[in-house]
Amino acid sequence: MERSKEFHSYLIGFALATILTIIPFTLVATVGGGVSYVVLVLCAILQLVVHLRFFLHLSFKGQQKEDLHLVLFTGLILLIMIGGSIWVLGSLYTRM
Amino acid sequence: MSESKTESLHPGLNLGEEHGEDHLEAETSVFGFWVFMMSDLVTFGMFFIIFASSVTALAGGPGPKELFNLGSVAWQTGFLLLSSLTSGMAVLSLKQEHADTEVPRKKLILWLLLTALLGACFLYREIADFIDMAANGGGPTRSGYLTALWSLVGLHGLHVSGGILWCLVMVVGVMVRGVDRRWKLAILRWAIFWHFLDVVWIAIFTFVFLGGLI
Repeated sequence: MERSKEFHSYLIGFALATILTIIPFTLVATVGGGVSYVVLVLCAILQLVVHLRFFLHLSFKGQQKEDLHLVLFTGLILLIMIGGSIWVLGSLYTRM
Repeated sequence: MSESKTESLHPGLNLGEEHGEDHLEAETSVFGFWVFMMSDLVTFGMFFIIFASSVTALAGGPGPKELFNLGSVAWQTGFLLLSSLTSGMAVLSLKQEHADTEVPRKKLILWLLLTALLGACFLYREIADFIDMAANGGGPTRSGYLTALWSLVGLHGLHVSGGILWCLVMVVGVMVRGVDRRWKLAILRWAIFWHFLDVVWIAIFTFVFLGGLI
Protein backbone atom coordinates (compact mmCIF):
# COMPACT_ATOMS: atom_id res chain seq x y z
CA MET A 1 0.00 0.00 0.00
CA GLU A 2 2.66 2.43 1.09
CA ARG A 3 4.80 1.10 -1.70
CA SER A 4 2.31 1.87 -4.45
CA LYS A 5 1.86 5.32 -2.94
CA GLU A 6 5.58 5.92 -3.28
CA PHE A 7 5.56 4.53 -6.78
CA HIS A 8 2.91 7.09 -7.68
CA SER A 9 4.95 9.80 -6.00
CA TYR A 10 7.86 9.01 -8.33
CA LEU A 11 5.59 9.00 -11.39
CA ILE A 12 3.96 12.32 -10.46
CA GLY A 13 7.39 13.81 -9.85
CA PHE A 14 8.64 12.54 -13.19
CA ALA A 15 5.62 13.92 -15.06
CA LEU A 16 5.91 17.34 -13.40
CA ALA A 17 9.67 17.48 -13.97
CA THR A 18 9.20 16.56 -17.64
CA ILE A 19 6.64 19.34 -18.14
CA LEU A 20 8.87 21.85 -16.36
CA THR A 21 11.75 20.83 -18.62
CA ILE A 22 9.80 20.92 -21.87
CA ILE A 23 8.44 24.45 -21.25
CA PRO A 24 11.81 26.27 -21.09
CA PHE A 25 13.39 24.17 -23.88
CA THR A 26 10.46 24.75 -26.25
CA LEU A 27 10.43 28.45 -25.46
CA VAL A 28 14.12 28.83 -26.20
CA ALA A 29 13.88 26.66 -29.35
CA THR A 30 10.90 28.57 -30.80
CA VAL A 31 11.04 32.13 -29.46
CA GLY A 32 14.81 32.22 -29.02
CA GLY A 33 16.22 35.56 -27.92
CA GLY A 34 12.91 36.98 -26.76
CA VAL A 35 12.41 34.63 -23.84
CA SER A 36 12.44 36.25 -20.44
CA TYR A 37 15.07 35.05 -17.99
CA VAL A 38 12.42 35.13 -15.27
CA VAL A 39 10.42 32.34 -16.95
CA LEU A 40 13.49 30.09 -17.15
CA VAL A 41 14.44 30.68 -13.53
CA LEU A 42 10.85 30.16 -12.39
CA CYS A 43 10.67 26.79 -14.19
CA ALA A 44 14.02 25.80 -12.69
CA ILE A 45 12.95 26.67 -9.15
CA LEU A 46 9.65 24.83 -9.54
CA GLN A 47 11.45 21.78 -10.88
CA LEU A 48 13.91 21.94 -7.99
CA VAL A 49 11.00 21.81 -5.56
CA VAL A 50 9.46 18.90 -7.49
CA HIS A 51 12.73 16.96 -7.25
CA LEU A 52 13.15 17.61 -3.53
CA ARG A 53 9.55 16.74 -2.79
CA PHE A 54 8.86 13.73 -5.04
CA PHE A 55 12.30 12.18 -5.65
CA LEU A 56 14.20 13.00 -2.48
CA HIS A 57 11.07 12.86 -0.30
CA LEU A 58 11.97 15.87 1.78
CA SER A 59 9.17 17.27 3.89
CA PHE A 60 8.46 19.17 7.05
CA LYS A 61 7.62 15.95 8.90
CA GLY A 62 9.77 13.48 10.85
CA GLN A 63 13.41 12.76 10.10
CA GLN A 64 13.23 14.46 6.69
CA LYS A 65 12.65 17.70 8.49
CA GLU A 66 16.27 17.66 9.67
CA ASP A 67 17.51 16.86 6.18
CA LEU A 68 15.33 19.64 4.79
CA HIS A 69 16.69 22.12 7.31
CA LEU A 70 20.20 21.18 6.18
CA VAL A 71 19.24 21.70 2.54
CA LEU A 72 17.55 25.02 3.27
CA PHE A 73 20.50 26.28 5.27
CA THR A 74 22.90 25.32 2.48
CA GLY A 75 20.56 27.14 0.11
CA LEU A 76 20.88 30.25 2.25
CA ILE A 77 24.69 30.00 2.23
CA LEU A 78 24.67 29.57 -1.55
CA LEU A 79 22.32 32.51 -1.97
CA ILE A 80 24.63 34.75 0.05
CA MET A 81 27.76 33.50 -1.72
CA ILE A 82 26.48 33.51 -5.29
CA GLY A 83 24.21 36.55 -4.93
CA GLY A 84 26.90 38.51 -3.11
CA SER A 85 29.62 37.65 -5.62
CA ILE A 86 27.43 38.55 -8.60
CA TRP A 87 26.44 41.79 -6.92
CA VAL A 88 30.00 42.83 -6.11
CA LEU A 89 31.50 41.75 -9.43
CA GLY A 90 28.59 43.17 -11.42
CA SER A 91 28.99 46.52 -9.69
CA LEU A 92 32.71 46.44 -10.40
CA TYR A 93 32.06 45.55 -14.04
CA THR A 94 29.75 48.52 -14.62
CA ARG A 95 32.30 50.90 -13.10
CA MET A 96 35.13 49.77 -15.32
CA MET B 1 -1.94 -5.14 6.98
CA SER B 2 -0.56 -3.01 9.76
CA GLU B 3 -0.91 0.67 9.30
CA SER B 4 2.37 2.45 9.69
CA LYS B 5 2.28 5.54 11.83
CA THR B 6 5.51 6.90 10.45
CA GLU B 7 4.92 6.97 6.73
CA SER B 8 8.47 7.55 5.65
CA LEU B 9 11.32 8.31 7.96
CA HIS B 10 14.03 9.43 5.63
CA PRO B 11 14.58 10.43 2.04
CA GLY B 12 15.07 7.86 -0.65
CA LEU B 13 14.04 4.75 1.15
CA ASN B 14 11.29 4.05 3.57
CA LEU B 15 11.89 0.71 5.20
CA GLY B 16 8.58 0.12 6.94
CA GLU B 17 8.15 -0.36 10.63
CA GLU B 18 9.36 -3.93 10.38
CA HIS B 19 12.99 -2.90 10.04
CA GLY B 20 13.79 -1.41 13.41
CA GLU B 21 17.56 -1.73 13.42
CA ASP B 22 18.02 -1.05 9.72
CA HIS B 23 15.95 2.01 10.16
CA LEU B 24 18.02 3.53 12.94
CA GLU B 25 21.25 2.91 11.09
CA ALA B 26 19.78 4.32 7.90
CA GLU B 27 18.71 7.52 9.64
CA THR B 28 22.20 8.46 10.80
CA SER B 29 24.03 7.33 7.68
CA VAL B 30 21.54 9.05 5.38
CA PHE B 31 21.75 12.27 7.36
CA GLY B 32 25.54 12.06 7.29
CA PHE B 33 25.43 11.62 3.54
CA TRP B 34 23.18 14.66 3.20
CA VAL B 35 25.84 16.67 5.02
CA PHE B 36 28.43 15.52 2.49
CA MET B 37 26.03 16.18 -0.39
CA MET B 38 25.42 19.74 0.77
CA SER B 39 29.15 20.45 1.02
CA ASP B 40 29.41 19.15 -2.52
CA LEU B 41 26.61 21.52 -3.47
CA VAL B 42 28.69 24.41 -2.10
CA THR B 43 31.53 23.27 -4.36
CA PHE B 44 29.18 23.44 -7.34
CA GLY B 45 28.08 26.85 -6.09
CA MET B 46 31.70 28.04 -6.34
CA PHE B 47 31.92 26.87 -9.93
CA PHE B 48 28.65 28.68 -10.67
CA ILE B 49 30.10 31.89 -9.23
CA ILE B 50 33.15 31.54 -11.46
CA PHE B 51 30.90 30.92 -14.45
CA ALA B 52 28.59 33.85 -13.66
CA SER B 53 31.50 36.23 -13.22
CA SER B 54 33.18 35.22 -16.49
CA VAL B 55 30.07 34.95 -18.65
CA THR B 56 31.09 38.01 -20.65
CA ALA B 57 34.80 37.12 -20.79
CA LEU B 58 34.71 35.83 -24.37
CA ALA B 59 38.07 37.35 -25.34
CA GLY B 60 36.94 37.35 -28.98
CA GLY B 61 36.32 33.61 -28.91
CA PRO B 62 33.10 31.78 -29.78
CA GLY B 63 30.06 32.31 -27.55
CA PRO B 64 27.03 30.20 -26.62
CA LYS B 65 25.22 30.73 -29.93
CA GLU B 66 28.14 29.39 -31.94
CA LEU B 67 28.88 26.48 -29.63
CA PHE B 68 25.72 25.05 -28.07
CA ASN B 69 23.59 22.31 -29.54
CA LEU B 70 20.17 22.75 -27.93
CA GLY B 71 18.87 19.40 -29.20
CA SER B 72 21.76 17.53 -27.64
CA VAL B 73 21.30 19.32 -24.32
CA ALA B 74 17.60 18.36 -24.42
CA TRP B 75 18.57 14.69 -24.97
CA GLN B 76 21.02 14.83 -22.06
CA THR B 77 18.36 16.34 -19.84
CA GLY B 78 15.92 13.60 -20.85
CA PHE B 79 18.41 10.81 -20.17
CA LEU B 80 19.27 12.19 -16.75
CA LEU B 81 15.65 12.76 -15.75
CA LEU B 82 14.68 9.25 -16.83
CA SER B 83 17.65 7.82 -14.93
CA SER B 84 16.45 9.66 -11.84
CA LEU B 85 13.16 7.80 -12.15
CA THR B 86 14.85 4.41 -12.65
CA SER B 87 17.15 5.00 -9.66
CA GLY B 88 14.00 5.69 -7.64
CA MET B 89 12.58 2.39 -8.87
CA ALA B 90 15.78 0.64 -7.71
CA VAL B 91 15.31 2.10 -4.23
CA LEU B 92 11.64 1.18 -4.26
CA SER B 93 12.49 -2.45 -5.07
CA LEU B 94 14.52 -2.53 -1.83
CA LYS B 95 11.44 -1.96 0.18
CA GLN B 96 10.20 -5.17 1.67
CA GLU B 97 6.57 -5.93 2.28
CA HIS B 98 7.45 -7.81 5.48
CA ALA B 99 10.63 -8.46 7.41
CA ASP B 100 10.88 -12.06 6.23
CA THR B 101 10.35 -11.52 2.53
CA GLU B 102 13.45 -11.26 0.42
CA VAL B 103 14.34 -8.27 -1.67
CA PRO B 104 13.85 -9.20 -5.36
CA ARG B 105 17.48 -9.17 -6.34
CA LYS B 106 17.05 -9.48 -10.11
CA LYS B 107 14.63 -6.57 -10.22
CA LEU B 108 16.99 -4.43 -8.18
CA ILE B 109 19.97 -5.23 -10.40
CA LEU B 110 17.97 -4.52 -13.55
CA TRP B 111 16.93 -1.07 -12.31
CA LEU B 112 20.50 -0.30 -11.24
CA LEU B 113 21.91 -1.36 -14.61
CA LEU B 114 19.25 0.62 -16.48
CA THR B 115 20.17 3.71 -14.45
CA ALA B 116 23.86 3.21 -15.22
CA LEU B 117 23.04 2.78 -18.91
CA LEU B 118 21.02 6.01 -19.02
CA GLY B 119 23.86 7.76 -17.20
CA ALA B 120 26.26 6.44 -19.85
CA CYS B 121 23.97 7.75 -22.64
CA PHE B 122 24.05 11.16 -20.94
CA LEU B 123 27.85 11.09 -20.73
CA TYR B 124 28.18 9.96 -24.35
CA ARG B 125 26.20 12.98 -25.60
CA GLU B 126 28.02 15.32 -23.27
CA ILE B 127 31.46 14.15 -24.38
CA ALA B 128 30.37 14.35 -28.05
CA ASP B 129 29.31 17.95 -27.41
CA PHE B 130 32.65 18.73 -25.77
CA ILE B 131 34.49 17.29 -28.77
CA ASP B 132 32.30 19.37 -31.16
CA MET B 133 32.94 22.49 -29.13
CA ALA B 134 36.69 21.94 -29.17
CA ALA B 135 36.55 21.32 -32.94
CA ASN B 136 34.73 24.65 -33.41
CA GLY B 137 37.44 26.59 -31.65
CA GLY B 138 35.76 26.43 -28.25
CA GLY B 139 38.42 24.59 -26.27
CA PRO B 140 38.80 25.27 -22.54
CA THR B 141 41.86 27.48 -23.00
CA ARG B 142 40.24 29.81 -25.58
CA SER B 143 38.67 32.29 -23.12
CA GLY B 144 37.77 32.81 -19.49
CA TYR B 145 34.16 32.03 -20.35
CA LEU B 146 35.10 28.70 -21.91
CA THR B 147 37.36 27.72 -19.01
CA ALA B 148 34.49 28.34 -16.60
CA LEU B 149 32.06 26.44 -18.85
CA TRP B 150 34.29 23.39 -19.25
CA SER B 151 35.06 23.31 -15.51
CA LEU B 152 31.43 23.55 -14.41
CA VAL B 153 29.94 21.13 -16.93
CA GLY B 154 33.01 18.90 -16.67
CA LEU B 155 32.73 18.72 -12.88
CA HIS B 156 29.14 17.58 -13.25
CA GLY B 157 30.17 15.01 -15.88
CA LEU B 158 32.85 13.74 -13.53
CA HIS B 159 30.22 13.30 -10.81
CA VAL B 160 28.01 11.35 -13.22
CA SER B 161 30.96 9.09 -14.09
CA GLY B 162 31.55 8.53 -10.38
CA GLY B 163 27.87 7.74 -9.89
CA ILE B 164 27.93 5.15 -12.70
CA LEU B 165 31.04 3.52 -11.25
CA TRP B 166 29.46 3.46 -7.78
CA CYS B 167 26.32 1.89 -9.28
CA LEU B 168 28.29 -0.86 -11.05
CA VAL B 169 30.27 -1.63 -7.89
CA MET B 170 26.96 -2.06 -6.05
CA VAL B 171 25.62 -4.36 -8.76
CA VAL B 172 28.66 -6.60 -8.33
CA GLY B 173 28.38 -6.37 -4.54
CA VAL B 174 24.72 -7.32 -4.57
CA MET B 175 25.43 -10.24 -6.91
CA VAL B 176 28.24 -11.56 -4.72
CA ARG B 177 26.89 -10.95 -1.23
CA GLY B 178 23.16 -10.55 -1.70
CA VAL B 179 21.08 -7.58 -0.60
CA ASP B 180 22.37 -7.26 2.95
CA ARG B 181 22.10 -4.23 5.18
CA ARG B 182 25.41 -2.81 4.01
CA TRP B 183 24.36 -2.70 0.37
CA LYS B 184 20.90 -1.44 1.23
CA LEU B 185 22.44 1.57 2.95
CA ALA B 186 24.85 2.05 0.05
CA ILE B 187 21.99 2.06 -2.45
CA LEU B 188 20.10 4.57 -0.31
CA ARG B 189 23.01 6.97 -0.29
CA TRP B 190 23.81 6.45 -3.97
CA ALA B 191 20.19 7.29 -4.84
CA ILE B 192 20.51 10.61 -3.00
CA PHE B 193 23.74 11.26 -4.91
CA TRP B 194 22.08 10.43 -8.23
CA HIS B 195 18.98 12.59 -7.64
CA PHE B 196 21.28 15.37 -6.50
CA LEU B 197 23.17 15.25 -9.80
CA ASP B 198 19.90 15.75 -11.64
CA VAL B 199 19.13 18.75 -9.43
CA VAL B 200 22.52 20.29 -10.26
CA TRP B 201 21.84 19.62 -13.94
CA ILE B 202 18.64 21.70 -13.74
CA ALA B 203 20.75 24.68 -12.71
CA ILE B 204 23.31 23.94 -15.44
CA PHE B 205 20.86 23.67 -18.32
CA THR B 206 18.92 26.71 -17.13
CA PHE B 207 21.79 29.11 -16.51
CA VAL B 208 24.54 27.82 -18.77
CA PHE B 209 22.76 26.47 -21.85
CA LEU B 210 19.29 28.06 -22.03
CA GLY B 211 20.47 31.26 -20.36
CA GLY B 212 23.33 31.46 -22.84
CA LEU B 213 21.03 31.11 -25.84
CA ILE B 214 18.55 33.87 -24.98
